[in-house]
Amino acid sequence: MIQVLAFYLFAALTIASATLVIMARNPVHSVLWLIVAFFNAAGLMVLVGAEFIAMLLVIVYVGAVAVLFLFVVMMLDIDFAELRAGFVKNFPLGMLIAVVLAAELVLGIGAYRAGSLELGTPDGSAAPLLGKSNIESIGALLYTKYLFLFESAGIILLVAMIGAIVLTHRERKGTRPQIISKQVRRRPEDATVNVKPEVGQGVQL
Amino acid sequence: MIGIEHYVVVSSILFVLGVLGIFLNRKNVIVILMAIELILLAVNINLVAFSAFLGDLTGQIFAMFVLTVAAGEAAIGLAILVIYFRGRGTIAVDDVNRMKG
Amino acid sequence: MVDLSQYLPILIFLAIALGLSAAFVFLPMGVARLTGAHNPDAEKLSEYECGFPAFEDPRSQFDVRFYLVAILFIIFDLEAAFLFPWAVSLDVTGWPGWITMMVFLGELVIGFAYAWKKGALEWE
Repeated sequence: MIQVLAFYLFAALTIASATLVIMARNPVHSVLWLIVAFFNAAGLMVLVGAEFIAMLLVIVYVGAVAVLFLFVVMMLDIDFAELRAGFVKNFPLGMLIAVVLAAELVLGIGAYRAGSLELGTPDGSAAPLLGKSNIESIGALLYTKYLFLFESAGIILLVAMIGAIVLTHRERKGTRPQIISKQVRRRPEDATVNVKPEVGQGVQL
Repeated sequence: MIGIEHYVVVSSILFVLGVLGIFLNRKNVIVILMAIELILLAVNINLVAFSAFLGDLTGQIFAMFVLTVAAGEAAIGLAILVIYFRGRGTIAVDDVNRMKG
Repeated sequence: MVDLSQYLPILIFLAIALGLSAAFVFLPMGVARLTGAHNPDAEKLSEYECGFPAFEDPRSQFDVRFYLVAILFIIFDLEAAFLFPWAVSLDVTGWPGWITMMVFLGELVIGFAYAWKKGALEWE
């Protein structure tokens, strides 16, 4: 009972906040609604027992991607009213396409329920381990069967990192960066001298 | 009881909302990228729901990869957006076809 | 379906956090409204800027370097996320799993070395 209630709560909130993401006037509000949508989707995933993916969603999306979006919205000083100019004009066409797409999806779900489609059955090679937690089963599968896929995910991350640095990093002229090795190499003898001046005489530097 | 159909319905509504968002905010690249994130979220919900109801973890593994690719896509997309803004002073998509180099 | 009762502590924590933050926000407002005089005008509501009108929008542009740091944070965040299932399932996966993760970490160390060499991590 409580699971049914929780499902409908999470599902309704996910869809409502997704609607507000695309309808919000201010992109900052869009980002904040996106965060709400991600939280509720994580709740949906917890309900079916995919706890690790749910936590990943919260950590990666809410913790990093949404913050990145927020940074960009704050970083670029944009006249957002001008960008909304086509909103009303595009509304009928967009609605039409959305309705057609939704109808197709509903038809697809209906076809699935009619039972004439062969969806493929699990062969048991990727079943969750008995008596182990969700995260342990995922690890046991990911680092044995999907090992090369995992390595290519690492390559994707590497390319994303290098691409972002190449695109946005620029050398700054005229800055005086800290040279740590020079600081460490400097000894007291190079920098200071002990002098013992006579009374009444200054120090010759 | 909640079945797989409920999850598929939620994810298809989310998917349609993402596509609609791309159409409605055709000029604002930031919202378009957010709509793409919504679409990927719908895909993830679908993958996770089928994985849970079929008793097969492959869907959850692929949801992790989708998450990875989505993060990379957001990073690179926003980086392109930042340098585009630097050069143009606007992020209207209409002028993107003038990009070269 | 998963046993939801194990999430009860999180729910309690959320309820307490929500209640406390709501109290911190709304209690002073309510008390101030009940005890003090409340007759705002345009002058009182304008932002305080040492006696002259505000020069500019309070929303100022961020530096692009924050963005680069945020991207590097995303990449290493994902890397850490992949480390969790690896760490708990090491007794099942054994040496192949260990070597896989070391290769993965090696890939990201290449990226890290690149970022360091390019000076993307330096601030000034």
